[in-house]
Amino acid sequence: MSSSSVDEITEQTKDLFTQDGVLLKAAMGRMVQDLNSIGMLCIVQNGDGTKCIEWRPNDLITIDSDTQDQEWAVVNTIGRRQRTLSGNMTSDYATARARIIKIPLEDLKTFRVTRNNQQMQFSTKPGVWQTTFYFQHGNAEIFVAYLKNHVKTAKTRHDRNTYVVVEPNIETQVLNRSFAELDIFTENTTDVVWNLVSNFKQRPYETTMEAFSKLTDIVYYGNEGMNGKRDVSEEVADLLTKSMSALEDSTTVTRTGEYEVVSVKPTLPPRPCIPRGTPLSTEKWEGLQDTEGRVTEVEGVKQLIFRGGVAHSIRQSVWKYLLDYYPWRMTHSELRSLQRKRTEEYFSMKLQWRSMTDGQEARFSEYRDRKSLVEKDVNRTDRTHPFFAGDNNPNLIVLQDILMTYVMYNFDLGYVQGMSDILAPLLLLMGNEVDSFWCFVGFMDKIASNFDMDQAGMKHQLLQLQQLLLFASPELAQHLQQKDSGNMYFCFRWLLVWFKREFSHRDIMRLWEVLWTGLPCSNFHLLVCVAILDAEKDIFISKDYGFTEILKHVNDLSMCLDVDRILSSAEGIYHQVVSAPHLTDQIRIILGIPPLNTTTSTSSDEATTSQSVQQANGTGDGSAEAAERDMEEDTLEYDGIQIKIVTKTVWALLA
Amino acid sequence: MAKTYDYLFKLLLIGDSGVGKTSILFRFSEDAFNISFISTIGIDFKIRTIDLDGKKVKLQIWDTAGQERFRTITTAYYRGSMGIMLVYDVTNEKSFENIKNWIRNIEENASADVEKMILGNKCDLDSKRQVSKERGEQLAIEYQIKFVETSAKDSLNVEYAFFTLARDIKAKMEKKQEASNPAPRTGGHQLRANEQQRKPTSWLSRCSLL
Ligand SMILES: Nc1nc2c(ncn2[C@@H]2O[C@H](COP(=O)(O)OP(=O)(O)OP(=O)(O)O)[C@@H](O)[C@H]2O)c(=O)[nH]1
Ligand SMILES: [Mg+2]
Repeated sequence: MSSSSVDEITEQTKDLFTQDGVLLKAAMGRMVQDLNSIGMLCIVQNGDGTKCIEWRPNDLITIDSDTQDQEWAVVNTIGRRQRTLSGNMTSDYATARARIIKIPLEDLKTFRVTRNNQQMQFSTKPGVWQTTFYFQHGNAEIFVAYLKNHVKTAKTRHDRNTYVVVEPNIETQVLNRSFAELDIFTENTTDVVWNLVSNFKQRPYETTMEAFSKLTDIVYYGNEGMNGKRDVSEEVADLLTKSMSALEDSTTVTRTGEYEVVSVKPTLPPRPCIPRGTPLSTEKWEGLQDTEGRVTEVEGVKQLIFRGGVAHSIRQSVWKYLLDYYPWRMTHSELRSLQRKRTEEYFSMKLQWRSMTDGQEARFSEYRDRKSLVEKDVNRTDRTHPFFAGDNNPNLIVLQDILMTYVMYNFDLGYVQGMSDILAPLLLLMGNEVDSFWCFVGFMDKIASNFDMDQAGMKHQLLQLQQLLLFASPELAQHLQQKDSGNMYFCFRWLLVWFKREFSHRDIMRLWEVLWTGLPCSNFHLLVCVAILDAEKDIFISKDYGFTEILKHVNDLSMCLDVDRILSSAEGIYHQVVSAPHLTDQIRIILGIPPLNTTTSTSSDEATTSQSVQQANGTGDGSAEAAERDMEEDTLEYDGIQIKIVTKTVWALLA
Repeated sequence: MAKTYDYLFKLLLIGDSGVGKTSILFRFSEDAFNISFISTIGIDFKIRTIDLDGKKVKLQIWDTAGQERFRTITTAYYRGSMGIMLVYDVTNEKSFENIKNWIRNIEENASADVEKMILGNKCDLDSKRQVSKERGEQLAIEYQIKFVETSAKDSLNVEYAFFTLARDIKAKMEKKQEASNPAPRTGGHQLRANEQQRKPTSWLSRCSLL
């Protein structure tokens, strides 16, 4: 076993990138015992210059010990590394080596990233995903970013998560071109460094990895590809120093023996406990209108409603505004003529279906189908409430008429189950067919995508909910994922009818009016879901609830939820999330906050993020809103909490 | 905690909106009927443990929303079902015609060996009947599926239907176990344990032992 062999040359490989803590989830033709074992996913350059993706089980890595078992192994592998296999190969080692999975980059056809960026699948043959990996530490983002430096990819149109390899092995082509593709050092070098540093503050881990991955190539290829450009080593050194010092600020570094264990555990700032306010009262409401009835302080009204809801005595009126039936700035007399117009409109639509003869109906199956769905649901809507209870209750006929008229108003959408649930509280409050109809139209406009034929709107929201939960309550999100409940389907009912089935009539009115304000961010209803789930987190985890128990538990929460407590914690979670130093663009987009363009950060972004970084390192109590201080002039303090408010008048009313 | 049953079967109720799936389940699990029951949004399940030839069989019965639009979500719950009740409403021709679509839906989303049964519900409403019992039987023969007319309201054949489906699942399961282990039966428990080891992902693994 002492003589050298050909192996020694062919096995002269170099790890270009390594990612630890990667679970092998599935692989075609694999031994079962390898599945679910942890290993390292690498991009490797072979002796002959070809590259491949390699997965090595952990027990093998211990043998092959020049790679430290840590996420930052890339640091050690920048240089050329040589494995001499023929030297002291044990039989254990040989079997272990057989367990390595290799995917030559030349053969790679497609890959995709799913499950919240934590799962990666590779394919060398169209139509089959041969291998599936699960990233336990962080996610696949960095790996993908790095892989994209070696293969040119295009995203498929039908699936944003799937990449098709259009040109394998970039670097085997002209190096100049590859550097252009790497998109570094081709721009003004100082800008590059500056951007990297500013990116770094937002996404320290990813940015460093990106930087390292790019530097790997520089180190390896030297200046070959620079094509006469000046030496970049200075900038590189500078970049590294800046990255490393910023890194130390935002991470914990434990020194154990010879290598460093660097763990990035982004945590949210503490959750502020924001008290609910009192409902918008008659006096305040009237005080916010001018003599002719225009509502002057629209944003202020919304703020007040967001804080405390609406007093029941004025709900009938206020809801018409919240549901876009009445424009805020119309005078009383304008509203009267609007109402006349809408009444006529309603009755002409109603006449359309009322005048349909039996014969017509018999030949109009699409209409018939819709009508029968409406009839079935009307008989099953809130029948325990006195307003809808009993046989031959005339209110049921009104409910039916409104829904049928809505079918004519929006025939394509038609009637979808759940709509009667949405309408019932509106009719109950308005007590008037026409007003209820137009308020219903307004509500439906807000949630129309819930009723898409292909349910795309619901699926999208469930995905967004999953992403929010992973950010705001990662432990719970991971538990759900482990229990096959990551798709959040058990929240379907909550989202479809905006919690109508979860709360009493009294409470649903409060919840809805708060949500209609659109404050404090887009998709606040998803944060309400997060708040409810987060309150159950301990039960889910400590009792190790699985798929069925989770669904059962969630369904059984119906009518056991405290609306004020949930709204308060949802608002608290909102503040935690938006002031988190590691807030991602993905979350920003869900919440309707403009994403930070990571390549062209402006100086104000820079200021905010560096402030956030400081916050994370500070003592961290109560400073959650500090980041907003400079952004909003009319930020006022309320019980020690900074709350954005529109005018001082409103503030005075709130007090 | 010791299990209080010998087997756990996962069953599923599917069929058009309003045919009475929730009512049938309510009848079977609570022995009650409610004319104004709310429509199902999303999915839910109920449990009832029955005695079947000396064995305690825990039935976990899943109830889905019927409207076609929700099918992409509800089919996610088909997985792992061992028995499916296909329900139509004898007073609604359309719901009967749709049984064919539901069967196709099962073929696409449930395991191939799932036990099935067709129920023609609301048979108490004879004056409004649109689908004769003969047509129901004909359809059942065509697909080689058992069939029975039920009434959740009058508690007619609901027990029978669930017991029949459960018994068929149990029989099929025991037959499979024997086939997979031709050695003389010394004890069912032993056999089941083997089976579980051999096919960890099959539906059989969902059967739990005392
Ligand atoms: N007369 C009679 N009515 C029934 C029977 N079963 C159900 N119903 C009625 O039919 C209506 C619909 O019943 P559900 O059980 O809610 O129907 P479902 O199939 O669960 O409907 P979705 O949840 O919308 O999919 C209700 O008003 C029930 O009272 C029955 O056996 N006889
Ligand atoms: Mg139902």
